[in-house]
Amino acid sequence: MLKYTIRRIIGMIPMLLLISFVVFLLAKAMPGDSLSGEIDPNNTDPEYIEEMRERLGYNDPIIVQYFRWVGGFTQGDFGKSTRYKVPVADLVAERIPNTIFLGVTSLVITYILAFAMGIYAGRKPYTFGDNIIGGLNYLGLAIPSFIAAVFAIYFFSFNLGWIPYSGSVDPTLQPGTFDYWLSRIHHVIMPAIVLGALATASYTQFLRNDIIENSRKDFVRTARAKGTPTSKIYNVHIMRNSIIPLVTFLGFDIATLISGAIITETIFTYPGIGQLFLQSVTNRDYPTLMVITMMLSTLTLVGNLIADILYGVVDPRIRLDS
Amino acid sequence: MVNVTADSNKSQEKTINMSPWAIARRKFLRNKLAMISSFFLLTVIIISFLAPFITTADISKVNIMQMTLEPSGDHWLGTDKSGRDVFTRLLYGGRVSLLVGMACTALVVLFGTIVGSIAGFYGGIVDSALMRFTDFVLNFPFLVFVIVLSAIFRGYVDGLTILIVVISLLSWGGVARIVRSKILAEKENEYILASVSIGCKPSKVIIKHLLPNVLSTIIVQSTILFAGLIVAESGLSYLGFGVPQTIPSWGNMLSASQESDVLANKPWIWMPPAIILTITILSINFIGEGLKDAFNPKSNR
Repeated sequence: MLKYTIRRIIGMIPMLLLISFVVFLLAKAMPGDSLSGEIDPNNTDPEYIEEMRERLGYNDPIIVQYFRWVGGFTQGDFGKSTRYKVPVADLVAERIPNTIFLGVTSLVITYILAFAMGIYAGRKPYTFGDNIIGGLNYLGLAIPSFIAAVFAIYFFSFNLGWIPYSGSVDPTLQPGTFDYWLSRIHHVIMPAIVLGALATASYTQFLRNDIIENSRKDFVRTARAKGTPTSKIYNVHIMRNSIIPLVTFLGFDIATLISGAIITETIFTYPGIGQLFLQSVTNRDYPTLMVITMMLSTLTLVGNLIADILYGVVDPRIRLDS
Repeated sequence: MVNVTADSNKSQEKTINMSPWAIARRKFLRNKLAMISSFFLLTVIIISFLAPFITTADISKVNIMQMTLEPSGDHWLGTDKSGRDVFTRLLYGGRVSLLVGMACTALVVLFGTIVGSIAGFYGGIVDSALMRFTDFVLNFPFLVFVIVLSAIFRGYVDGLTILIVVISLLSWGGVARIVRSKILAEKENEYILASVSIGCKPSKVIIKHLLPNVLSTIIVQSTILFAGLIVAESGLSYLGFGVPQTIPSWGNMLSASQESDVLANKPWIWMPPAIILTITILSINFIGEGLKDAFNPKSNR
């Protein structure tokens, strides 16, 4: 298992390098000086600009520039935002807790809802309750997240006034107090539900089908024949078998949450990484853009890696195979 | 219960002499949800593509006299902030959204099938090289790279074309994987060995013998893709990185809801595209489920 894990992690390195090269080329291809931020925009003297370009190394070959960028990157030098004039690291560090809070809340809600609905529907298949859950699942899978978000804001914020429609916390509250955290949860709950809707639907569907399938297997019949109570059969015998494949979804969730966060954060004007990313594209803030793109790509890679490793843990055939 | 078993017995007797395609067609035609969805989708497609003949209103003309009118007899769904008729824009928007979805699906399926079938058929080093490349593409966070790429090419090339190309370039990985695994299983059959041994060219073996047998999988996949790609287009347009703002699309129309005044007080501007988009996606999904069911020999509905 350890060998398999190490092999997967080493296999990730060339992928990471390739992606970094693509990100760098893309940033270079964008209009304007992608790595600027140092040049004084008010000084239009061509000689000054040429001198600064020379000093900042923009006239070097692409490869040299790439290695300089990667070198800085690995040492924690992420450059300076051209828009906010502060190091990108600070900018990102300020936003990251919000996005992590959103992602974790979304996962918690997903798991609670999916387990409750999936177990119910799996125990009582083809009943009224199961059909209702099935219908909800269909909606969860089909409604695009941004439409769900727009409707949620319209109904719950504007018409009912239950939830705030923007921001991550009430700015008048003192950080650290109980009310502060309550306000944060209040702000995050709707985006988190919208963000997790798709995953909730697919988890529920999977759990339901797996429970139904398992409940027809021989070991369940044996348990029944021995007189094991039904609740114990479902909660212990079947659950254990049905949860295992579900574990592997966790890695893919990371990738889904990243893409989802861009849209959800923008709609709810929630100050996280996704919103910062879109702002940096709109403002042509290339250093920020490159750092976030690299970060999100790395996270996606890590997510897929986790999924792969968990597959190996769950299914021994996979780790022997490749 | 008795009726159901009798029914399925009868249908089994009937299907004995039918081709797999005929069985699938029969199953699909009997699936009510899928048939209703197909009917709805066809109606939406026909009406949107006939938009220039159905309405005479000018979609691009800004009319200050008729700004943000509520729905009425003149304007069935009201007008937006620039005084353009929402119903007309809905039709034209559907045309663009569906067209982008179809074009992307066609490109994705074409490219994914080519890569997947070549990798699956040849195996060995060709397979590993192509599949590493596929992994590489699949590892990109889709939305992030579509946004970056469309920001780069904006202004150089026609916005619609670039959107279609960019979305397609980043989405073919899944199809390639599925086609490859199906081809891998299918090529072990004796008839493939036979066709290779009588000297068929690889291209002929793939196109004439292998692909028809994985076609059902490809069809089901492309239905699911079609829904997903329409969502991708409208999501990007909503964020302002998709179809250029000058062309109406469902996503572009929805982006009006980013203004909280429109969102709170003028639902007729953003609700129609939201609802029609959702129902379209739902019906495509139902069709996909119906097709999957119809092609599945184990299902006996």
